[in-house]
Amino acid sequence: MLDIQTLLQIFWTGLANSSYAVLLAAAFALVLKVVKVWNFAQAGLMGIAYYTMYAGIQKFGLPAYAAIALGAGAAIVAALAMEVWGLQTFRRRHSPPLTFFIFTLVVSELVQYLLAMAAGTEPVSLATTLMSASHIVGGVVISEWDLKAIATTVVMMFLLYLIIKRSRQGQFMLAAADNPHLSRLYGINVRRVYALTFVVAAILITAAMYLFGTRASMVPNTPLEMMLFAVIAALLGGMGNVFGAAVAAVFLALLRAFSILVIPSAWQSLILYALLFITILFFPQGVRLTRRARKPAATPAVSTTPADA
Amino acid sequence: MEYVASMLVLVGLYIILASSFNLIIGFGGLISIAHPIFFALGAYTVGVLSVQYGVNPFLSVVAGFFVALVASFALSLPSLRISGDYLLITSIGFQLGLLEIIKNLDFVGGASGLGGIPNVVSGQRNLVFAGVSLGLALVVVLAVRALVRGPYGRAIKAMRDDELAFLALGRNAMNIKIAIFALGSGMAGVAGGLYAYYYQYVTPDQFQILQSAMILTMVVVGGMGSVLGPVVGAVLLLLLPEAITFLNLPSAIMGPLQGVIFTALVILFLFLRPQGLIAPAKPTLGGH
Repeated sequence: MLDIQTLLQIFWTGLANSSYAVLLAAAFALVLKVVKVWNFAQAGLMGIAYYTMYAGIQKFGLPAYAAIALGAGAAIVAALAMEVWGLQTFRRRHSPPLTFFIFTLVVSELVQYLLAMAAGTEPVSLATTLMSASHIVGGVVISEWDLKAIATTVVMMFLLYLIIKRSRQGQFMLAAADNPHLSRLYGINVRRVYALTFVVAAILITAAMYLFGTRASMVPNTPLEMMLFAVIAALLGGMGNVFGAAVAAVFLALLRAFSILVIPSAWQSLILYALLFITILFFPQGVRLTRRARKPAATPAVSTTPADA
Repeated sequence: MEYVASMLVLVGLYIILASSFNLIIGFGGLISIAHPIFFALGAYTVGVLSVQYGVNPFLSVVAGFFVALVASFALSLPSLRISGDYLLITSIGFQLGLLEIIKNLDFVGGASGLGGIPNVVSGQRNLVFAGVSLGLALVVVLAVRALVRGPYGRAIKAMRDDELAFLALGRNAMNIKIAIFALGSGMAGVAGGLYAYYYQYVTPDQFQILQSAMILTMVVVGGMGSVLGPVVGAVLLLLLPEAITFLNLPSAIMGPLQGVIFTALVILFLFLRPQGLIAPAKPTLGGH
């Protein structure tokens, strides 16, 4: 018999675990929105950030903040290298979309194999212990990791909101996302905008991987599965809707958390793939919440006919 | 001689896989990486039919073809209904999801794999399998050649090059996409059936993303959209790893190193020779 406390506990744990998924989904959706690339190389960037932080903390004994900075630096360098030497080259050549798909996917796989060679295939984590001090609030166990993860995600998403909506560079991103050719005519350096987009995505990815690594362990091919989650969230949130993807990631994480009540553990990993199919079948353009239509004005205040132009 | 014959079996199998994948991605322009799952479905179909029901080998392989062909609809119908872009994303989920199902099903051996597949050749086993494998590869290559050089092939290429114009002519692109995806997948199923009879043991780990990278590399390096390209790619990329086996590296390094070679080659070719070793023939004014 399920009681309210069990349900609340599942909800809370699912919400806390959605933290890194939210950041990964936002990073994927941001690149998709601005650069118009399905960045499957995100899994490679995730691996690079994670294993750099792992080397910093576990091998060189760096403090967490220094390891995070190192991980972010490595991810940014890798992302920029991919953009400058890879994607820009293909754009210049007017390569077909197939080339972009293959390139990002293969970069991801290359990184995975390189990491397997360098670090082996044993699971590694960023923390010496995955246990976190906990408190019981109203019968629900709340760990310090949960609080840290949720707070980090909220702050990162707020900063992302400020960058996109309130900064000049963010406005350039939106302009380039809307129409890169017109943006160029208005003097926006679209290449720089794309590079900045990858930098922001790399920072989000690093934050997500740090949160994940202090909660669980990882092998080199884990990021591919995690990225699939981000892809589904990006699809469900609406193509290129960064904050919609973040909300979808929370929804998917909660759905997965509550599924333990009805689906045996051996089949748990299938949920993700089933969700992918359901999303493609029923929500190919993402879930759109309907807005109440405004009443049309009796007489138009401003004429929009070309004659007025 | 046995070693050479066993290599020839693999060469034949991978020519079938690369050529059938080329039909989908090179000629059809359909981006999927789930080809190994259809290879797996063919292998498992043969495994289950031969181990549990003692079905005739020829009929088992034919069943492998049809199971892979029918399974391809489950992937192509939902994703192509919306947009070709979705096929790649769905294909990753389809491959990993089906492998997860196979790992949890006891009657196909679960995660530990399905063994005990009967030996259907008594004497000169390797040579017989090499002959059958290369023979089937030849049939597949000739079938793909005949298909793409005929009127249907011209329709496939027209659809790939300009789908909007193709639709404007009143042609049904969706039917063509689904048909070539099904045919290519079915061919992979045949390769899977042969693979199961040769190795007599199949496990889900043999059909992971590494296989996708390997087949994709063969097509990209050989020449996407050319009939002979995947043949050259398959031969080259099967012989290349043989060179590094002489380094006597531990298996923990050898597997990822092969993956690094395959993926690095794809990236190099995308930059330096995107058309591959054998570029697809350019159409002439006469249309021949």
